Amino acid sequence: MTNNDNLVLFDNIKNIRKNGEYSGSIISKCKNESKSVIFSDNITISEDKIVISQGLMVGFDKNGDKKIAFSEKSDFSWIDDFSSIEYSVIISDDIMNQYDEGQFSDAFPYTINLLHTAGLYFNDYKYNIDHLDFFKGEILKNPVAVIFNGICVADRVVIDHRGDPVFYDCLIVGRDQNEELAASYEPLVNVDDKVVEYIIILGIESLKE
Amino acid sequence: MLLYENRKQKFLNILRLGLNPFKKFVSTGEIKEDLGIIRSREHFLESIVELIESNKNFILPIIGGVGAGKTHCFWALKEKLYYYNLVYLSLENVYRKFYYKFYSKYIEEMGVKVLRNITSQLCNEWGALERKFGFFHVADIKKVKWKGFLELSKDFEDITILKDVVNVITTHQLDPYKKIEAENWLLGELMDYKALSRLKLLSDLKKKDYAYTMLKILIEKSKLGSVLYLDEFDTIIPMIHPDKSQTSQIYDPSWFYGDDTNPDRLTANKIIDRILNLQNIKGLKIILTMKSIESFVEIKKLIQEKNPDLLYNFREPLILPNFIEKDVFQFYKKSLKSFAKDINYIDFIEAFPDSYFPLNEKILKGIFTKARGNPRQITKYLLKIFNEIIFSGKKLEKIIIEYENEFNL
Repeated sequence: MTNNDNLVLFDNIKNIRKNGEYSGSIISKCKNESKSVIFSDNITISEDKIVISQGLMVGFDKNGDKKIAFSEKSDFSWIDDFSSIEYSVIISDDIMNQYDEGQFSDAFPYTINLLHTAGLYFNDYKYNIDHLDFFKGEILKNPVAVIFNGICVADRVVIDHRGDPVFYDCLIVGRDQNEELAASYEPLVNVDDKVVEYIIILGIESLKE
Repeated sequence: MLLYENRKQKFLNILRLGLNPFKKFVSTGEIKEDLGIIRSREHFLESIVELIESNKNFILPIIGGVGAGKTHCFWALKEKLYYYNLVYLSLENVYRKFYYKFYSKYIEEMGVKVLRNITSQLCNEWGALERKFGFFHVADIKKVKWKGFLELSKDFEDITILKDVVNVITTHQLDPYKKIEAENWLLGELMDYKALSRLKLLSDLKKKDYAYTMLKILIEKSKLGSVLYLDEFDTIIPMIHPDKSQTSQIYDPSWFYGDDTNPDRLTANKIIDRILNLQNIKGLKIILTMKSIESFVEIKKLIQEKNPDLLYNFREPLILPNFIEKDVFQFYKKSLKSFAKDINYIDFIEAFPDSYFPLNEKILKGIFTKARGNPRQITKYLLKIFNEIIFSGKKLEKIIIEYENEFNL
């Protein structure tokens, strides 16, 4: 299937549900405590079931008195009760092609690839994590960020001299003023760390099969 | 306002500074020529272009005597086929390391950006851009290499060489730490053992099998067509059949080795084998230039002895004719116009569009007759006359009369 428009497959707030089997680049946001995001290349939506097979769930999990970033490859399904899934959006091929073209880190040896998934930043009064200063001036590969209602998946993030993250080659999914879901590609996004809920750097091991 | 006479005098004065419009009478594959081709040869050029555009593979012999303009024809062809990778090689310079030298020239013509695009395109085809979980590019280099090898293996016999070449291509795109070494290798640079061992290779592209494999991959993947213009191909004939009458007093390798194992003969045979092997590269067109139809017959005979099937791709030779009389006038005018542009005095040409100053029609006709229409001889005569105008200190009228007498006009 090739799609040239972003397609909202499921939206709990706007009561949208488009039944069918879809494949492509799909982002699903969960409404759970860990505010996790699922990346997948497939989703099946029916009246009573939503199934994602072999997706990658990313978020923060509570571990004792700490919150730890995780990325977990698994099959996910919701039966009858869809309250814990906020939305699922399939990104258009045009945007994905732009995203592919913007990738550069394979040709740039000074990008830091983490082996295991780790939290770079977690904006929480109790479990606060902030490693931005530690990575100031560095280029980190495969960041995923949740910023208010939006999700930002980027090829790389650079921590600038102020300690703010700058995302390069980004896919952004979020809600506009009318709460409508939208997705877009941005070559560069500058974000103040105060508006960021969390940034997770995906480990290369969890991405490899 | 300047008078006509003044303009002519000014032009003469400029010439007498030591500037000759006919400095060069031998064309080379290295120095670009902008003069273009004269009208009577346009049809000849068109027929080559048509052949190139309507065929995938062929070997086209072009026959023209010494100084007929075979090398000049390359530059005219290059201007016309600007959307092709047109590579010039003179056989005299490529007896040794033929594939390597062809590869180096091909890369020079193609450019490093296109090389990068092709390796990137290949790696993408082999799954380098596969998206994990719909988004993330995590290239599994081993998997990409294996897929690349499987895809190419049906076209290549030597598996070891192919594995090495696929290894370099994938390393170039997917391994940032060895990218520079891989690119140097792909550009045909000579490499030391340290750099080679980092790439896990035994040799650089000097090794003929590597160069051939890379040529085949690049030419077949290139979006532009590819043409090899192999000049002076008949220099191979004296190597195969040395002229005994001329070599009796000069050392000849056959004194040591005998005729059959004469190293020159072996080299010549190798060259022919390598050129014929290039026919296996899809989309590569080969143009061979030679001086006479006898040379063509001789080469054809030689290939027939090796394997008659190899003659399948040979086209009927095209004969490059000498100039006809009116070509001399056109050539003269074109050369002077180009010269006037170079010296920033195009006003002179515009002021006298029908004049052949400082020469005249009679002299040009005389040159044509003397040179028997051979372009190089014509250029040599023009060079000589202009040198006399520039350096002799004689009056122009006197020089003209002297040459009119010399040409019996």
